[in-house]
Amino acid sequence: MNVTTLTTLAQANFPEAMSQITLAHYLVISTAMFTIGLVGFLTRRNLIIMFLCTELMFQAAGIAMIAFGRYHLDLSGQSFVVFVLTVAAAEAAMALALVVLLFRRKESLSAEEWKDLQG
Amino acid sequence: MGIAQFINPYVLYALLVLGAAGVGLAMPRRGTTPQIVGALVGALAFGLILLFMGLKAASTEGGVSNLPNIYFYIFSLIALGGALRVITHPKPVYGALYFILTVIASAGLFLILSAEFMAFALVIVYAGAILITYLFVIMLATQAPEEGQDEVLADYDVSAREPIAASVVGFLLIAVLTTMMFRGTSQLPAPAPVNQNELLASMPRKVERALLTTGKIAEGDKFESLDAAANVIIIKKADGTLLTIPQTDWPEEMAVTNPEALGFNLLREHPGTIEIAGVILLMAMLGAVVLSRKQVQLDEDAKAARVTQLAHLDPGNEPGVQSPLELGSPTSNPTGGAAS
Repeated sequence: MNVTTLTTLAQANFPEAMSQITLAHYLVISTAMFTIGLVGFLTRRNLIIMFLCTELMFQAAGIAMIAFGRYHLDLSGQSFVVFVLTVAAAEAAMALALVVLLFRRKESLSAEEWKDLQG
Repeated sequence: MGIAQFINPYVLYALLVLGAAGVGLAMPRRGTTPQIVGALVGALAFGLILLFMGLKAASTEGGVSNLPNIYFYIFSLIALGGALRVITHPKPVYGALYFILTVIASAGLFLILSAEFMAFALVIVYAGAILITYLFVIMLATQAPEEGQDEVLADYDVSAREPIAASVVGFLLIAVLTTMMFRGTSQLPAPAPVNQNELLASMPRKVERALLTTGKIAEGDKFESLDAAANVIIIKKADGTLLTIPQTDWPEEMAVTNPEALGFNLLREHPGTIEIAGVILLMAMLGAVVLSRKQVQLDEDAKAARVTQLAHLDPGNEPGVQSPLELGSPTSNPTGGAAS
């Protein structure tokens, strides 16, 4: 790798440009993973699996952001994935604390146990 | 321009229907289920979509350079297969383990996209921290099987809710999203490159170390400044004279790496966001501590359900004679009451 070609930060990080067709491949993967997470969230009745499915959707969003960042030769996409990770960690901590509470009260992980909650 | 540039839309929609059918079949259901067949059909549909996209990419102008890396196909198939298994496996522990597989495969995709830092952060934070928390909660919140019995899956794990409707809606969403996305990508603006000279000027020690290890400067020479316009580095030698190093002489080690550039981007462009992220994490930690410290009594309905369940398992015991707490103890032998 010749240093003279590294005139820009972007080129230093991204060795060669990415074509739109390659970008489309990543977007299809991201969409498919997001949809799998969505279908899982809608169908499964175990609360833990439902939260795992939200993590799947976060993961898909991260892939899309990093692929777009690579296509635009911009690092902000990667920076945003850092924040996605933060939100995912916070969400996991809170959701799991709630799940443990629910289990202590009802001895069940079924999402339908929340039906008593009102207003 | 449009979706036809990437894949024949009719092929895509047909394969999405196939994928929806596969995922719908693969969801857990009571009784004997064609789960394996469904998972295979779903995986086949995703594989064929990728294959058709690859064939289309190879046949358009530009040829091989349009194709993603071969590892892209491997990682994305592993990631999607793992994701499919997360949502179809009846046992939560296995679901969490398959999710780790998906995370590691996505880290591979990130590596292909030259996001090295995020790839490793993903493995450490997701596979290392978040998923271990999930596994702990799964172990805490799962009833241990009664003595002498096989593990029984809970009712809410055995059957999914409306699997067919959900997969139809989900795959309709894929169809719409892909159609919209591919219309949009042809109008993306040209990338705006960022100058790496500015970053190098902020890292004098890195420049000095790189120049020193390659023998361009001697021990004791100090970085003076970086002239971005002329693309030269000015070094102040130990005896006070200035040395100019043009860009053609810059060593390869001086190139800004991904973690360095990402750090600059994070702290320069989004400093407030980082503070907010820290506050969110702190609040989540406090919330989780407060929530889990709370003492919770077993709900009346759940107590009653448990008593009848135990009485059903053990006809020799009168439900009412023992307190629910004693009934719940693992030492109660199902055959003990009948023998005495």
